[in-house]
Amino acid sequence: MSVVTQMIQVPVVLDGVSKRFGRGRGAVAALDRVSLAFPSGSFTAVLGVSGSGKSTLLQCAAGLEQPTAGSVRLCGAELKRLSDRQRTLLRRRHVGFVFQELNLVPELTTEENIALPLRLGRQRVQRAAIENAAARVGLRPGQLRRLPSELSGGQQQRAAIARALVTGPEVIFADEPTGALDPHTADGVMRLLREAAAGTTVVIVTHQPEVTRFCDRAVFLYAGRVEGIVDRPDPVDVAARLHALGARAAQGDFATIGAA
Amino acid sequence: MRGWMFAGLRRNPGPAVGTLVAAATAAAIAVAGIGVAASSTPSSLGRLAGADVVVAASTQLRVTVGRGDDAQQESVPLPAYAGVPAVLAGQLARVPGVASATGESGFPGGIVRPGMVDLIAVVADRGTSTATLAARIKAELPSDPKQGGTGYTVATGAARGGVADLNNAVESANGHAFGIAVIPVLITTALFALAATTALSVSLRRRRFALLRAVGATRGQIRRAVLAEQALIAVAGGLIGSLPGIALGAMAVRAFVAHGLFPAGTTALSGPWDAGVACGVTLPICLLSGLVAAHRAARTSPARAVKGTHTERTWPSPVRVLLGLAAAAGMVTLDVLALHQNGPGALVALALPSLLCGMAAVALLGPVLVAVVAMAARPLAAAGPSARLALAGIRRMPARTGSAVVAVALAVGLIGAVAFSNTSVAHATVVQSTQTVTADHVLSGGGLTPATLPPSMLTGVERLPGVRAAVGVAPLSIGVTDSDLEFINGEAVSAGPVSDVLNLNVTAGQLSELGPGQIAVSTMEASNGLGAHLGQQVTVYLPDGTPYRATVSALYQRSLAVGDLLIPAAVAAGHTGTPDEYSQILVRGGTQRELAALAAAHPGTQVADRAVYNSEVASNAQQNSFANLVILGIITVLTAVTMINTLVVSTVERRRQVRLLGRVGATRGQLAAGFCWQALFVSVVGVAAGATVCVGTLIGLTRAVTGSSVPFIPAGPALLVVGAVAALAFAATLTPFAVISREKFRQPVSA
Repeated sequence: MSVVTQMIQVPVVLDGVSKRFGRGRGAVAALDRVSLAFPSGSFTAVLGVSGSGKSTLLQCAAGLEQPTAGSVRLCGAELKRLSDRQRTLLRRRHVGFVFQELNLVPELTTEENIALPLRLGRQRVQRAAIENAAARVGLRPGQLRRLPSELSGGQQQRAAIARALVTGPEVIFADEPTGALDPHTADGVMRLLREAAAGTTVVIVTHQPEVTRFCDRAVFLYAGRVEGIVDRPDPVDVAARLHALGARAAQGDFATIGAA
Repeated sequence: MRGWMFAGLRRNPGPAVGTLVAAATAAAIAVAGIGVAASSTPSSLGRLAGADVVVAASTQLRVTVGRGDDAQQESVPLPAYAGVPAVLAGQLARVPGVASATGESGFPGGIVRPGMVDLIAVVADRGTSTATLAARIKAELPSDPKQGGTGYTVATGAARGGVADLNNAVESANGHAFGIAVIPVLITTALFALAATTALSVSLRRRRFALLRAVGATRGQIRRAVLAEQALIAVAGGLIGSLPGIALGAMAVRAFVAHGLFPAGTTALSGPWDAGVACGVTLPICLLSGLVAAHRAARTSPARAVKGTHTERTWPSPVRVLLGLAAAAGMVTLDVLALHQNGPGALVALALPSLLCGMAAVALLGPVLVAVVAMAARPLAAAGPSARLALAGIRRMPARTGSAVVAVALAVGLIGAVAFSNTSVAHATVVQSTQTVTADHVLSGGGLTPATLPPSMLTGVERLPGVRAAVGVAPLSIGVTDSDLEFINGEAVSAGPVSDVLNLNVTAGQLSELGPGQIAVSTMEASNGLGAHLGQQVTVYLPDGTPYRATVSALYQRSLAVGDLLIPAAVAAGHTGTPDEYSQILVRGGTQRELAALAAAHPGTQVADRAVYNSEVASNAQQNSFANLVILGIITVLTAVTMINTLVVSTVERRRQVRLLGRVGATRGQLAAGFCWQALFVSVVGVAAGATVCVGTLIGLTRAVTGSSVPFIPAGPALLVVGAVAALAFAATLTPFAVISREKFRQPVSA
């Protein structure tokens, strides 16, 4: 297998990625030499207690932040060799995002929000395509003309998923997509994401064990390092493991550079 | 297609309202300023209504200025008629097609020489067109009207009005110059005002830009979106502001007429094109002021979309700090290099670059200033939970508080610089004139015209026993080519020992006698304008345009009381457009009683001793010139709009915080106290920063104009400015707080 095809089949590769915030004594290592690969079509949850570096991992993998050290390959491109504009275009064409909340531009209607990546790319927006994307996430045509403030939290997340899917991306990054939802609604949104994004590589950052029920793989982060990887995770085991990590964190052995 | 760009404006115009208000205000003032600058006065022909053609000696002074490649001809309207020989009327009467040609005199600015008339009014025969007649008359006129003359003005139709009253032309030119001088002030102030409001409206939408960046908007797209929004606001502001602007321009012209800056009957230029003019002004201002904000919006990190909340960087980028320090250094340099200038609006033109640098420094260093002061003010947290909360907020979000501080500093700095440059110059004038006048008694002419003391009175005073010296003086305009051709203030002085009655602080030469062929020049005019030294030959122009070639016989420092040039009254006589009388006679020796007895023969003449005279000068000088008040008004309006915008928006922005604090148990009183602390902090830091810039500008300005480095800032008006700004800061903070705190329990806690 050639190197090129290997890269394309593994659209997200992190190699020795470190990220520090701040300088000198107050510096914090959010990521510490993390190496991970997310194969094509995989559906992975990245788990960890608060402050473990999971959001930073997502930002670095998606090219929203630049790592302090190490390299990230996204859809075959070495991110640190790309200009800001090239990274933006890469995101627009090949990456979809779903955030915890405030996903949607409040002044745009649901329809306009879903079409946003297409419009930014100056692509012709066909109403049918938008309605189709909306239908895949269970939004009715009548809801498309509403502003985000007129939708429920679950409906807003569905619209966000529709937006993430509308360009037919290779990878979808989701940061706590169900964090602000009740368990029942969260379940629905996850099921939807799993179905709608079939074939797409999905990376979900979460602290909710139930989310892993829909995942192929769970990656555990602790203090900026990969603590373990579990295939076909069981939510009960995941919860137990998270509790254990939480207990360790409570004893205060989080690494702070300079304090050590 | 670009729906995403303007959806924000359409569905949530809130953040842009401030920018729109500022743009509309700027548009209104621009339309008014252009209306004033391009105002017109209908010719009031008076006695000349019946004349078809009017012939006068040229009413413009034309002089070639500069040398070599830079040489160009400039012209200014003359304040006085040069006059034409009375016999010319008879000559013109014989031109075919002329029914009558009459010499006329007695116009404002008219000549007072025998054998001469101001102008000749020609009536055409029936059947002869005025154009044909004017051409025939031009051919008939002698090529050189008189020795040193510059030609004739032959006017027909509306142009006759300009010949009928020379004051009109001079006043109009002054008024137009003022209108033009206002425009750079307006543009600069508007740039700062709009830059502040735009920066704020962008910072309010940081998260939105981050979200757009995350889903694939390039930096260029964000930058274009912000600029497109600015353009839309500019056009809307231009359209909204143009109508009030037309009304404002008409009001301003009426006020100018009332204050003698414009001739009676002047109307502001206005028309349907005003809306276009307004947009033409606001569009570049809005785009230029939006550049920085657009750049900042485009630099928003897409990672911000992931984070629900964020804290600002406590310390701004070193580049910004360096730029700020460079701007501050620029202000100091300009202060040192400040040059002497004359002419209408020059005070402001001079202060402007220095003020600009100072304001740029405050704008750039604002957040640093806030962070430093907040750190120093930490002990104040002991005053209670409200103070602690307010100070913590200021310390953690210095940029937000910084924008409020900059708005306050802008108001204090700009208003203070304009207001107190006026008082400083007036004060220096008073101080100088008390030092200047060494005469024991001063006789002043009464009535409306300034010069009403006849030469016979001077002779009478000189003959009184005990009078050691008596000198008559009369103010007049003298044309000079100090780089540009312009008329500046000077005085004609009678033969007599000037140095016995006026101590002008002569630095070279002597002033004990100023004879024909001599001229005394102030050191400022000599060094910056004429570039003259003692003993040099210079050419100046009398009010009727007659050149006066003279040797510089004295250089003097105290020019505020007497103007920049002194020439002998004998030389000026007959060329001033007024009778050869004096406005004042300065007397050394003699007694008040004898002088009063002499003055009784001339009703309206006042006799004052030195102390009384000086106090009169002082009270006259305190009256602010109307033109400066207008500039002050413009600046006050624009800076107040900016301040209100900024403070209201930055208070409303904290709506979520108010709701949160309300839920965790803060009483409304505690919240109000917190905002009071915030307003207090903003007022104190803003006033201090603004006052520093203001004083810095004033030092350079007063040094350039008066030679003293100490600006005169009267306590009363200074406290008024500070008090008004602080009151506005509190009102603009607490009023929106009152509104948002009332809704706090009804609304959900969300962004």
